[in-house]
Amino acid sequence: MPLAVRQIEPEAAVAPEEDWRQIASALTGYVRKRTQRHDVVEDIVQETVLRLMDYRGKGQLVSVYALAFRIAGNLVIDRFRTERRYAAEAVEEPMSPTALPDRVLAGRQELASLMQALQAMPPLRREVIIRRRLHGQSCATIARELDLNPKAVEKHITRGLVDLNKARMRSEPMERHQS
Amino acid sequence: MSADPRIAEEAALWADRMNRPAIDSALASEFDAWMNADARHREAFAELQALWDSEVLTLALREMQDAPLPVVAPKPPPRPRKPARQTVWRLATLAASIAAALVILPQFSQQTYRTGPGEERHVQLRDGTRINLSGNSRLRVTLSLWSRSASLTQGEAYFDVRHEERRTFRVQSGDASIRVLGTAFNVDHQAPDRTAIEVYRGAVEVGGSDGGRQVLKTGAAANVLAGRISLRPGPTQDRPEWETGWFDADNIPLGVLIDKIRRYATQPIVTTDPSLLSLRVSGRFHISDVDRALAAIEAAYGVKVVRDHNQIALELR
Repeated sequence: MPLAVRQIEPEAAVAPEEDWRQIASALTGYVRKRTQRHDVVEDIVQETVLRLMDYRGKGQLVSVYALAFRIAGNLVIDRFRTERRYAAEAVEEPMSPTALPDRVLAGRQELASLMQALQAMPPLRREVIIRRRLHGQSCATIARELDLNPKAVEKHITRGLVDLNKARMRSEPMERHQS
Repeated sequence: MSADPRIAEEAALWADRMNRPAIDSALASEFDAWMNADARHREAFAELQALWDSEVLTLALREMQDAPLPVVAPKPPPRPRKPARQTVWRLATLAASIAAALVILPQFSQQTYRTGPGEERHVQLRDGTRINLSGNSRLRVTLSLWSRSASLTQGEAYFDVRHEERRTFRVQSGDASIRVLGTAFNVDHQAPDRTAIEVYRGAVEVGGSDGGRQVLKTGAAANVLAGRISLRPGPTQDRPEWETGWFDADNIPLGVLIDKIRRYATQPIVTTDPSLLSLRVSGRFHISDVDRALAAIEAAYGVKVVRDHNQIALELR
């Protein structure tokens, strides 16, 4: 999750205590949706909170939540990659694709739902979402190139994400609700 | 799923805002306050952020853009290029970026770009630099007020760097470093101690970890192997080869070629025999066509390709 990384304001006064349990519980929801492997969720959340505390000790964080989700997101990807690499080197125990987070092959149902939702969108909204999420264009750039006002762009993104999220939740396999 | 549509919309708005390259501190505190206010907010945001980060979403969007639908978004007419208006725009953009810079002054912006197998990503940085990232690649870009740098830790990228008098652009790839002054070039991170560089326009200065430096001009190419720079014949086309999905191997370890194919393969490629990875290979491979590339390796190098439903295994014959 990209954002300004040096989230530290050196001169900040003593900040209020963070509620780590509250943060951990939000992160748990996030990591569960990013991986099918329930056994790694707790690990990733714990590691994220430890790193957060470490950052926190060095200065006031601009946004503890933004940083939390970014760290967790990176850890999910790292885990994914290490396991792949491991799978490539030691072959005794080949990885099953069901074990991979955001697994490309088994995510077909989800892919179909997301594409359906995209197809159902007004074309302009779809274009805005593609530009923003796929090409990383800023709202200002999109507004300029599509002759929209920035507020309208934001609205398209928001509505579009909500629709996609609904579609994603509908396609969610039951196993995710366990544990 | 959050039952309250208002909360879902707010969460979506925050997901958009918090995934911008830089966030200002006022907005960030507002976000934390919103998250702290209600458990339903946190739950909804966790969902939306997971959606935002989802690789399946990336795939879906790619599919949609590659296969235009019967109903096509009306393309806006090309804007007439009025110089005066452009200047006003530039000034406005400049003013805006100065304002933005002031807000995030104690920070700098850092962003990591990743691609999955077979994925290709076009990135435009805030300074106007364009980067095309090949599949299964990872690039971290750091822009500050006084410097610009990128670190390619995996894969391959083509850079078209916007020249700036005072902020040079540096690229680190394993033990090779590249200093740029407004140019287009390709960096292929083949292994931590193996980087290949090609210059398509302008010039770069390549540094190896052994202290060696070498200026490469348009049409030149070099490898940095274990920190040492060696020149090699330059590119013959005006775009990097990977954009066409091909790779010219010239006496390289098979492991490097396999890694390149992994940039496109959706299944893990594994090997039972590490000695296989050090076989030397040469030839022109269509790496974006995984089956074809593997068949070529199979035919030419005495390697057996064994497929099952969840992986591709390479064995010595």
